[in-house]
Amino acid sequence: MKILKMAKRDLDLFASVLPAFGEVYAPVQRGEGFAFEKPSLWSDVRMNYTRTMLPPKKLLLPPRETTFSFNPDSGFKDLVAEASKPMVLFAVHAYDIYGLNILDRVFAQAKFPDPYYIARRKATAVVGVDFVPDDKHTAGSMNADFVDHGFDLFLSDIGEDYLVLVGTSRGDDMVVMSGCLMQQPTEADFIEYKKRSQTRRAAYKTRLELEDLPEILEMEYHSKVWDEFGSKCLSCGSCSMVCPTCYCFDIGDEVELGSRAGRRVRSWDSCLLKTHALVAGGENFRGARSSRVKFRFYHKQRGFVAEYGRPSCVGCGRCVAVCPAQINIITVIETIRGERDGNASGATASS
Amino acid sequence: MKMMSEPKTVLIIDDDSDYVRAIQALLESSGYKVRSASNGRDGLQLAKTLEPDLVLLDVMMSERTEGFFVLQEMRRIPALTDTPVIVVSSIYSDEPAFRVDPEAGWLPASLFLAKPMEPARLLAEAKRLTTKPSDSSAVAAGGRSL
Repeated sequence: MKILKMAKRDLDLFASVLPAFGEVYAPVQRGEGFAFEKPSLWSDVRMNYTRTMLPPKKLLLPPRETTFSFNPDSGFKDLVAEASKPMVLFAVHAYDIYGLNILDRVFAQAKFPDPYYIARRKATAVVGVDFVPDDKHTAGSMNADFVDHGFDLFLSDIGEDYLVLVGTSRGDDMVVMSGCLMQQPTEADFIEYKKRSQTRRAAYKTRLELEDLPEILEMEYHSKVWDEFGSKCLSCGSCSMVCPTCYCFDIGDEVELGSRAGRRVRSWDSCLLKTHALVAGGENFRGARSSRVKFRFYHKQRGFVAEYGRPSCVGCGRCVAVCPAQINIITVIETIRGERDGNASGATASS
Repeated sequence: MKMMSEPKTVLIIDDDSDYVRAIQALLESSGYKVRSASNGRDGLQLAKTLEPDLVLLDVMMSERTEGFFVLQEMRRIPALTDTPVIVVSSIYSDEPAFRVDPEAGWLPASLFLAKPMEPARLLAEAKRLTTKPSDSSAVAAGGRSL
């Protein structure tokens, strides 16, 4: 992997050539939070953000998308070409790139590849950037604070400069197009990188032990702890909506009134919502809130490990930040491991 | 009777008021209607309202790459997608490291002119870019059109 460096003061110049690779989305301030949006000026872009409110998933698997339209006169129109519009995701944290890599496994490498997701992913360039963890990040424990693929370029802060990892030939094209902004790093730059990497790892305020967690979850399947968490959960689905790796969706046909023309629309769904497991005849396989809370954690921390060899949680901390009932993954895991009292009221991250 | 044609509107987006005054006088003396804005945000707003026939866009204003962002934003607005834009800047002399070939295709401008420029060249390019092929056969040569 090629490694270069770029002066931080030249980042604005570098960003100005990125539109050659597609519509640029970068973290910008929105109220008290951050969001991946199209910046109007370079000064809108925030390189030192904690986390965006929604992960970049929103651009690759839109909350609501029309997959095709149909009309008795003009026939069927597949909209997969619409999904191929080039895009650049700029300043994406490692855990969110990890999240995209997990979505790749589900949508691109699994038994039934999803053409809409694949078209978007192929047309999307990703420029990553490192971050300093806050008290909600557990990416270190989830092994998602470093990525070796899934990006075109990755920027690591080394003080006055960024160390630039070139991950793909498209990343190399970005380097070429940015003229002489990139330089060869020195030995001192590598030393600085290693020093900062160590500092970043030490900055995690929250550590989670994942060793043998799938087995412990198996043992605790009938634990009363799930009833306690279930009694707190409001079933709002916010945790799924902000999760970089939740990918459940619903599909429906919308037919225009007085016509046989219409469209097929898919939209995000959540296993926390009461209707998620409701089937014809009125049977609901997860009618109780406790069973829905339990399902989400089992899918993330057990089912995904069995299927793909790792949990699907990347430790971004978004669900911790948004849950109105203050249920958080840190509390849940520590409780289920018996490291804290079996009540679901503790919402504070332990250090 | 031959109808007089409407004067073409040129929008100058530049924070250098002396430069704007000089170019405005030059263009007005050649029959153009000129409006100006001193920063990218105001310029973009004015462009949406005016839908000018030509935009002269500076790059380094309050921010070093302001013009580039304005240009990208303009191209997202359906009414301005095809508006001719001449990027007029001294960025490559001020930022030698950023000597990217304007022909590389990343800049969705009609033409890139380095400051300072020849007034005659600007007038020729303005005429070329504001003349529809059907309007006249007097389309000057030179410049890059997208």
